[in-house]
Amino acid sequence: MNRFLSLIKNKYFSLIFATIVLIVIILISMYNSGSFTGIKNILSVPLSPLQKLLTGTGQKVEAFFTTFKDIKTLRKENEILKTKVNELEKENGELISYKDKIEELRLALNLKSQFEDYEIIGANVIAKEPGNWFNVFKIDIGTKDGVDVDYPVVSSTKGLVGRIISSDSTSSKVISIIDEDSTVSGWILKSGGGHVIVKGDLTLKEEGLCRMYYTAINVDVAVDDIIETSGLGGIYPKGILVGKVKEVREVSNELDRYAIIQPEVDLKRLQEIFVLKKKNDNLK
Amino acid sequence: MRSKEVLKYKILVYILSILIIILFQTTVVDFIKIKNVKPNLILVYTICASILEGSVGGGIIGLFAGLAQDILSGKILGFYALLGMYLGVIAGMINRRLHKDNILVVIFFSFFLTVVYECGVYFLSNIGKEVTNIFYIFKNILYIEALYNAGLSIIIHVLIIKVNTKFEIERKIPAKY
Repeated sequence: MNRFLSLIKNKYFSLIFATIVLIVIILISMYNSGSFTGIKNILSVPLSPLQKLLTGTGQKVEAFFTTFKDIKTLRKENEILKTKVNELEKENGELISYKDKIEELRLALNLKSQFEDYEIIGANVIAKEPGNWFNVFKIDIGTKDGVDVDYPVVSSTKGLVGRIISSDSTSSKVISIIDEDSTVSGWILKSGGGHVIVKGDLTLKEEGLCRMYYTAINVDVAVDDIIETSGLGGIYPKGILVGKVKEVREVSNELDRYAIIQPEVDLKRLQEIFVLKKKNDNLK
Repeated sequence: MRSKEVLKYKILVYILSILIIILFQTTVVDFIKIKNVKPNLILVYTICASILEGSVGGGIIGLFAGLAQDILSGKILGFYALLGMYLGVIAGMINRRLHKDNILVVIFFSFFLTVVYECGVYFLSNIGKEVTNIFYIFKNILYIEALYNAGLSIIIHVLIIKVNTKFEIERKIPAKY
């Protein structure tokens, strides 16, 4: 015992010892994200409300300042919008008739509504990852509210935000689709369609964009094509809106071609999000 | 006896300041971005405190700051703790070699160690993956963040010195009488 104590006092030994312990912890938490929840709760549970308060205040202050900045542009915008409203009202009338038609067809085909199998749980964003490399944020619901790792997260407009990567009892961490480690298998929403892969990219992250790879040769991509989740991979259910194609990058090698996606959700200004929970998943 | 008590308070103050800084870093700092890059207050704090405390204290401060950061918002538990510990140890080594109260030393090493640390974070979290945008990373993220951090290091250094001298005075005056 005394020998051990004298070893601890040796700083080189302590450094190596701490390094090994930390590497073991890193390896364990890399392969099993649910581990160490007990330790995490000690800090995370009391501090989450504080984080919520600070983020909330920050959002309010920012909103306050942007109001002043916006007043000038708002007048101009108002006029433009008024004329646009007239145009849109006309268009809307047409669309409503289409909508009725689609509703009829859907009933005829006996299609289920998009999230019928899912329970939708609302949450607030309370904190962000401290560094500049990743796009991970924290929300104020956790295992206590019935959410768990790999649950998909959507915005109020039903656009895809990301998925939960870890959760403790009162908070969870969400990785957004523009993070470099995020991969979503998608589907181009047009006749012919085609499987694509939507990945986050560091160089596009700051603009809130992500990259789309489509290696299959018969897939044809054009600007403004709409991408939704394909349901492959089992994490994201089929049919959640991911975003629109913003730019198609032609590369000489066909296997390398990619497009840039503008996500449906403004991932840099998220406040309220919704977690999808499978209704028959209570056993977990 | 008295110095032990002071040490106890010092540890408490360090723990509290680390927690407060992490709270700010994960919430409010997101609103003060320059060119879409935010500074890293935890990193600056670890560097400044380690330069004052030496490599043993620095290692411990870095370890705990990293660990708290991992728990409150991070991907993998232990990742920032490991990097933070080495950052503290390395920053602490400056303590012996250079005059530690010199603000220019603090500013220079905040800049330099930010680049080293953030490179470490980026490359370690991308092990096994292709890293293609090194130039982009330097120009659009690292360089701005390092400048931002170096600027903020002045404020944090002064704050830490102020808190520390308060303890020194409390320790010295009663000892005279």
